Amino acid sequence: MRYVIVGTGAAGATAARTIKRMDRDGEVVIIGDERFFPYNRYLLTEFLSGAVSAAELFHTSEEFFEAMDIRLRKGQAVERVYPNDKTIRFAHNEVMSYDRLLIATGRSPSLGPVLRPYAKLIQRYYTFEDILLIQKRLPEVREVIVSGRGLSALDLIQGMYRVGKKITYITRGQAIDVSTVESHLMGDLDSALAEREINFVHDDRIVAIECVDNRYLVKTFQGKELWGDLVFAWDNYTPNVGCLRNTGIEVKTGILVDLRMRSSAPEVYAAGDCVEIYHPTLKNYWINFGWPNAVEQGRIAGKNMAGDNEEYQIHETTLFNILGKPLEARWWD
Amino acid sequence: MKPPSSTSLASPSKPAGGTKAKRRDISVRFCGIAGDGVVTCGRILAGACASLGLDLMVNDIFSAEIRGKGKSTTTVRFSSRIVHSMGDGVEVLVGLAGKESIEEIKDVRPGGCVIYGSSIPGDLPEDDSLAAHVPPNIHGFGVPLRKLANQATGSNQGKNIVAMGALCYLYSLPQEAFIEQLRKNFGRKSSRALEVNIKAFTLGFEYCKEHYPLSFELEVLDTLEPRPLYTGNDALAHGALDWGLKFFAGYPITPATKIMEICAKELPKNGGWTIQVEDEIAAISNVMGAFFAGKRAMTSTAGPGLSLMSEMIGLAVMAEIPAVIVDVQRGGPATGMPTKVEQGDLNIALYGGAGDCPRVVMAPSTVRECYTGIQLALDLAEKYQTPVIFLSDLFLGQRMVTTSIPKRVERDRCTRKKPFPGELGTYERFKITEDGVSPLLIPGEEGGFYTITGLEHTPSGNPNFESNVHSMMTEKRYRKMKAMCVDLPPADVLGDKDALIGIVTWGSTLGSVVEGMELAREQGVKSKVLKSIMINPQHEDSFREFFASSARIIVPEVNYEGQYAALLKSRYGIQPVEMHISAVDPVSPAKIANRIIEVQDELTH
Ligand SMILES: Cc1cc2nc3c(=O)[nH]c(=O)nc-3n(C[C@H](O)[C@H](O)[C@H](O)COP(=O)(O)OP(=O)(O)OC[C@H]3O[C@@H](n4cnc5c(N)ncnc54)[C@H](O)[C@@H]3O)c2cc1C
Repeated sequence: MRYVIVGTGAAGATAARTIKRMDRDGEVVIIGDERFFPYNRYLLTEFLSGAVSAAELFHTSEEFFEAMDIRLRKGQAVERVYPNDKTIRFAHNEVMSYDRLLIATGRSPSLGPVLRPYAKLIQRYYTFEDILLIQKRLPEVREVIVSGRGLSALDLIQGMYRVGKKITYITRGQAIDVSTVESHLMGDLDSALAEREINFVHDDRIVAIECVDNRYLVKTFQGKELWGDLVFAWDNYTPNVGCLRNTGIEVKTGILVDLRMRSSAPEVYAAGDCVEIYHPTLKNYWINFGWPNAVEQGRIAGKNMAGDNEEYQIHETTLFNILGKPLEARWWD
Repeated sequence: MKPPSSTSLASPSKPAGGTKAKRRDISVRFCGIAGDGVVTCGRILAGACASLGLDLMVNDIFSAEIRGKGKSTTTVRFSSRIVHSMGDGVEVLVGLAGKESIEEIKDVRPGGCVIYGSSIPGDLPEDDSLAAHVPPNIHGFGVPLRKLANQATGSNQGKNIVAMGALCYLYSLPQEAFIEQLRKNFGRKSSRALEVNIKAFTLGFEYCKEHYPLSFELEVLDTLEPRPLYTGNDALAHGALDWGLKFFAGYPITPATKIMEICAKELPKNGGWTIQVEDEIAAISNVMGAFFAGKRAMTSTAGPGLSLMSEMIGLAVMAEIPAVIVDVQRGGPATGMPTKVEQGDLNIALYGGAGDCPRVVMAPSTVRECYTGIQLALDLAEKYQTPVIFLSDLFLGQRMVTTSIPKRVERDRCTRKKPFPGELGTYERFKITEDGVSPLLIPGEEGGFYTITGLEHTPSGNPNFESNVHSMMTEKRYRKMKAMCVDLPPADVLGDKDALIGIVTWGSTLGSVVEGMELAREQGVKSKVLKSIMINPQHEDSFREFFASSARIIVPEVNYEGQYAALLKSRYGIQPVEMHISAVDPVSPAKIANRIIEVQDELTH
């Protein structure tokens, strides 16, 4: 039995390990387009600010894959899945067959039509490679501009603050834009931003970016002109489902799966940030993301691929569980 | 912050391999099939690195088939420190041919990278996919070589230059140095050729900049000066030419042909001659004729050619006619392995031919020594009226290195011993002298009538088969080898002079030995090596002194029999640890280091 897993994130790596534990003789191939060993993505900011070491960041190594007899193919992207032939095609045109397939491709920050033309001027903040690139540039950076939604924006601001950079934060709303944070915390967050002398630009958004002498001039809808040495911006997070487009496998925003992590195609499973899971109470699909969610979904997908029959339990209160710690602790630690 | 254990993927943690530290020493291997432009890649990279003042060594490995789709590789090792050898393994593999490059992956060091074509048309089966074979401890970079080459040149040609652009970005090398090399390479052809190649380079560079922005860094010191590049064959030919070579005769043979090509181009400019003759017997005969007539002359060949020359070498010994024979050794016996290296011709060089047949055998160890050594060979041949066999090898002859070649040449540092004008009436061609060297008159001089022959002869050159004459003349011929010692450079000791482990090696193996010694020293084991260009005769005192100061001697060489070890054993009565390294690839410094450490262990336990 050949199990092929696309995506080396939390969901993919957990599934690989689970399958191998249940089916020792099964062949497990895990493919990821990042060129590093799987790591704890949620620790990237701590790594950037020096709070955790590379050894803590990486939860796998060469020896791990050898000992588990899992074949890792990193730095290689899967371009398309052919569920009828039970094959996948890599970006370099190699064709590989599978008996059971798991799509665990996560999601990526995405840019809307206004920001898209400036993609080359925007620094992404999502992968280990992004962090290494930022580290390389940091000595020349004094001021950064951040524009983006969600907890990741907070995480990024925290990281930049820790490495001593002056921060301008642009948000579309009145306050910091973190929909999943309980409302009573919002005020505290705002005052924390103010305390850290973060330049808070609210009710506004970036409409243009220019690079002038290695610095960036950011123009906003309200007509402000802001200067920075590094610009971080995103509009949304989008599940990485490109390899499933027009394959017949059902995809809305994410890949539609049932509680056993099965997609609409036989022998094709999906887990983690790239899926929309069926919510039995809502009777609809539901986007559930975050590290603990990806690990749990990866575990269940792995078990079911190896022949078990387990269902995922939705805990609505932990839709975005920040690793068991309340947001306060994460922000003020 | 630590995640709760239920959500963690706790397992042995290790970083993914540093990308931050600056690399000092990089080896890049290009692998392709005929038409992929592997050699061009090597030359451009080497040219660019040399212009940056880096030290480097280039080694080409071709398939033996002269035509057809054989695989070839070019490896370039460059560093801001001295490069003694090709080292062990490579940092980067550039797979211009995907399937054929798969077996090269085993040589890529952990943390290194493989650049592979990602726009191969059609379905690529897993077994044929280079990417599928890249293990996780190596970085793989897919670059659409074919697609970008087509964009630049309108054909598949130019994949190599696209790959060069990719390499330049990935290792943060200065683009201008490469563009300059493209100008040198393609500028002469046509402005379009240059334009499309610059475009191909730029497309490769920009592709990596966009897709793999995180580049590795190489330490390039601003203080370094551009360096000239030579192959051993180049240096050897130019050494001979600068020394006043006037005549070259030869028959083409891999890997020596280049020497003949250079001579053919350069000699006529100085009133000299190069002739391509029908075979190697004719080649050496011509050289002996020219030398006899007072012109510095040389031939070059490989093992099979040297076998053919054996009989004429005997004549040169017997008739005391100078000749210089360059043997760029390759794998043998017989036709053997024309494109692989081996140091297997030592025995035929030392002993090939009939009778007691003393001759000079030399073996340069470096490209620089190819230049200086061949000049000494021409001198010794001229002064001592003897054939000199100069044993280069494929690895030394074809590898390209940055080196400095002495600018000042003192011509005529040795002259032919000639009879004084008043002696012509009593002239004896083979006159018995203290040093064994008899005055040699250029034939045809008025009053200087004499005979020379391959038969045993009296001092005047008349055939004679009496025992006492034969003994006297044999003794005379051997005496020259002893007398020569005043002109021989003493052997050099490199490494830790006080070390108890001594290594004696010959030819191109020296570089790997020096690097192996450095590796062993990093492990705390000291050693030294004796470097001598002379194989026969030798500056014996240097050898005896070296042996006396060493508790254990290691003799590494690239042949099955241990031919040099056999010579040293019989000449000096030593019992060395012999390392008979199998032919084909350059010697591994790591293997040398391991043996040094093993010998140290034996000494201490
Ligand atoms: C800075 C930062 C801080 C975070 N902090 C927290 C936190 O505190 N708590 C929390 O719960 N979550 C946090 N998250 C989010 C969390 O890391 C993700 O929810 C989680 O990693 C999702 O795991 P996954 O396996 O589904 O996807 P991912 O971890 O995104 O892994 C998917 C992998 O698949 C690869 N891939 C995509 N497409 C392809 C393809 N076609 N071929 C091959 N490979 C492909 C991707 O490159 C990626 O490596 C944070 C994220 C970031 C960036």
